[in-house]
Amino acid sequence: MRKSMTYALAAGALMGFVSLSSAQAADASASMLADTCNGCHGPDGVSQGPAAPTIAGMNKFYLVESMKAYKAGTNRKSSIMQRIAKGYTDSEVEAIAGYFSAKKFGRVAMQNTDAGAASKGQAIAKDLCESCHEKEGYAAEDYPVLAGQMMPYLKNNLMDFKSGDRSIDNNPNMSDKEKRKKKRALEDLMAKHGDDGMAAVLNFYASRK
Amino acid sequence: MSKMNRRNFLKAGAATGAVLAAPSLANAGSHGGKHGKIVIVGGGVAGATTARYLKIGNAELDVTLIEPKASYHTCFMSNEVLEGSRKLSQIEQSYDGLKSMGVKVVKDSVKSIDAKGKKVMTAGGSTFGYDRCVVAPGIDFKVDGFADVGDFSMITHAWKAGPQTATLRKQLEAMPDGGTFCIVAPPNPFRCPPGPYERASLVANYFMHHKPKSKVVIIDRKDKFSKMGLFTGAWKNLYGYGTDKSIIEWRSAASTGGIDSISAKDMTVETLANGKEKFDVINYIPAQKAGNIAATAGLTDAKGWCPVDKTTFESKMHAGVHVLGDASVATKMPKSGYAANSQGKVCAAAIVALMAGKEVGTPSYVNTCYSIAGDDYGFSVAAVYKYNAEKDIIAGVKGAGGLTPGDASAEMRRREVEFAYSWYNNICKDTWG
Repeated sequence: MRKSMTYALAAGALMGFVSLSSAQAADASASMLADTCNGCHGPDGVSQGPAAPTIAGMNKFYLVESMKAYKAGTNRKSSIMQRIAKGYTDSEVEAIAGYFSAKKFGRVAMQNTDAGAASKGQAIAKDLCESCHEKEGYAAEDYPVLAGQMMPYLKNNLMDFKSGDRSIDNNPNMSDKEKRKKKRALEDLMAKHGDDGMAAVLNFYASRK
Repeated sequence: MSKMNRRNFLKAGAATGAVLAAPSLANAGSHGGKHGKIVIVGGGVAGATTARYLKIGNAELDVTLIEPKASYHTCFMSNEVLEGSRKLSQIEQSYDGLKSMGVKVVKDSVKSIDAKGKKVMTAGGSTFGYDRCVVAPGIDFKVDGFADVGDFSMITHAWKAGPQTATLRKQLEAMPDGGTFCIVAPPNPFRCPPGPYERASLVANYFMHHKPKSKVVIIDRKDKFSKMGLFTGAWKNLYGYGTDKSIIEWRSAASTGGIDSISAKDMTVETLANGKEKFDVINYIPAQKAGNIAATAGLTDAKGWCPVDKTTFESKMHAGVHVLGDASVATKMPKSGYAANSQGKVCAAAIVALMAGKEVGTPSYVNTCYSIAGDDYGFSVAAVYKYNAEKDIIAGVKGAGGLTPGDASAEMRRREVEFAYSWYNNICKDTWG
């Protein structure tokens, strides 16, 4: 027994997948790990609002990137996720991300949005956001889903992009070209459309059913 | 490849019992068809979450939940009801969500549990046989010897939300400006460790806006408390704490020398240091123990709480009975709503595996707990846990979790309130459906 345990530990450690501490017990299943998130993010990762985002139906890479960013604390500041993300190994993060990415993005929270602002935001988003957040923000292939996401969450993150607390420059997963494109879009949003324009875009994405 | 390694490791460990404690496999289905019958005692967070996740894990399981109340008022956010910013109906949860998943919800109270005969008897005269029983009775109060408190009609505990919350709110509303509200905070361990201090904060906020000459006095039975630095920091920032104009006064157990009497008749609290003091409203939160049915069923230890296998929440006193939530000894998880919710999922997964004759998987647990100290002023504590077999504790993962920093920005504190409200909506949906 001792021998086989040692072998398994050594094999895991050698392959770089399992740290010694995490190898003390078998990994929890993906659903066991992911279910612990539901208390804040909602059943199956579909948030009931008002601020915690829906994480269901996001692409897996984005969820992994977010957890790693929270863990490192270098390019994404947060209130609580920085503390939570540090509790999981990379393989656990992969499992959790895989689990939620396979769920359906649900739009269930009652969000109060302004129809006029949403309509104005639709035009701005088409001009500035659509080339990344495709299909009016419903697309999940390359970038996070924005359509139907919680408005306070969207607002907080837009503020963080503006302040640099959510840093495009320090994101290791974006090419220089991508960074330039995103920063230009954000600058255009602020310079051309101001606070009202930003609010309009938030209303547009939050109002998507 | 990596999965292969882990699977081999799991097999190696399980074979000798070195990694997974392997509880006896139940005779699936002896009481409820081929999939098994589970009877859950208590429809609070722990019981309801277990019911929901049993059904998610195996919709064919026969799940009965026995709860005396027609609906459940959450303790979390009940301090906002006391503050006046939330209605009692906004902390009320119905059992319709569980019923729609096929959980049989029985309105009755459990009188006794026969662990040998595997059956549960109710006050209403019904008997429910089970393959596995889940006991989630929350807390009851220890008799402290302050007999004059009686039935808590004059002096509330308001530590089980509902009518008690409504009574205390009415008392605070009726209190004249310039009055003093006293909270007697309980000794450890107790439900919701930051709760008394959030209560003091939100009542202080109510006073500040509506009865600015009024005060909150906390007579504590401890010398320190949960999130103490964050609370006292908030009180300094919001309520003048530490000055002679402070709305909140906190007295440690050491400073009062202990409580000698509490009287509902003349609304006094007597301490060694201050003698008999009269207050306008007293909220007395007594010392606590596991909900009474746990002791009746022989599930408690000498201290009044329920020792359990921390990977399955199966009782160490009676096989086939699981105890979780506030009633259990789940060191080092706190007695919080999120802990109860997290434990419900671990317990449900274990029971689903056991009923199917499968090995119980590795558990994972989380706690997140928000406190609201005033307008746009929130903070939190979080932890991610793994079971540590060597120490038999649910151990926080090192380097993770912890408190909101004391120097968090105003914007972060504002967001924590937003997240506290999200936490509320999501955990309720995750628990009661």
